[in-house]
Amino acid sequence: MTRPRNKRTRKGTDTIRMTSLMDILVVLLLFLLKSFVVEGDLMTPAQGVELPESSTEDPPRESLVLAVTKDALLLAGEPVMGMREIAAAEGLLLPALSRRLEEAAARRGELARLRGSAAETQALATIQGDRAMPFLVLQKLMYTLGQAGYDNVSLAVVRES
Amino acid sequence: MHATRRRNESARRIVEGDVEILPLMNLFVVLIPMLLLSAVFLRIAVIDMSLPAGAGESAAPEEDPLSLTVRIEEDRYVVEGRGIPDGVVLRDGGGEENAAELSERLAGLVAARPGTEDVVILSRTDTRYEEIVRVMDAAREAGLSRASLGSTDGAGREDAP
Repeated sequence: MTRPRNKRTRKGTDTIRMTSLMDILVVLLLFLLKSFVVEGDLMTPAQGVELPESSTEDPPRESLVLAVTKDALLLAGEPVMGMREIAAAEGLLLPALSRRLEEAAARRGELARLRGSAAETQALATIQGDRAMPFLVLQKLMYTLGQAGYDNVSLAVVRES
Repeated sequence: MHATRRRNESARRIVEGDVEILPLMNLFVVLIPMLLLSAVFLRIAVIDMSLPAGAGESAAPEEDPLSLTVRIEEDRYVVEGRGIPDGVVLRDGGGEENAAELSERLAGLVAARPGTEDVVILSRTDTRYEEIVRVMDAAREAGLSRASLGSTDGAGREDAP
């Protein structure tokens, strides 16, 4: 009895049933708004790096980023050395990285001079290390950074939820 | 017959008088891709680090009342420090619960000596980065906010000034 009448009304109005779609969209919108972060300068993890989890709350700062993937070391996204080279390096100083850091420092000094700003700001470096990276690699990186004047080193981690 | 038609008409009018949903949809279609693009699903944080022992400016361990050290060994953490009668040994399967136990132990030591903030984390050269970060977390939770890293192996140490 009621069925045919319903059918007719639907035919007559021609509207798509939007309610369920709207439900989805509203939920999605709320979720995205909640996860929206108003931080312009966010650090993105380098490709192929699986960062360890940590309970730290410190936000990342703008800095020189050293990424250690499973097979290479990247300085600001550009490959510097292979992992084998790092493992084979004698002592703690990594010459190739040291050279690149010097170049980077020179470039930054030049940039500061052109901009007419005062002496360069504090040298900050962030290491994005793969969770399986052995300590020796970390030690070599930190030693080389320290020798190049990067006294402030921070380790990038994924914040535990 | 007449009555049913009227009923139909009123039903149609109700449907046609539906909420104007199109502008809202337009808004959603624009907002959702924008938020999706800017959404951060992986929140990155950093751990601020002092330089590894011996690699940077000379620390003054003499002033430190406790000089607390956590050594990461193959299957245990060894906590050592001046004034602690025996190194505290914890069996470790690499699990979270051991880190929690370590944190509790360290918190107990810190409570006995308030003001202690420094801890040296000694690792073997092949200790996984993940493991070091876990110990640093445990130390930070215990109130030891200044962690430095060092190596238990003599290898590489001869380079340190």
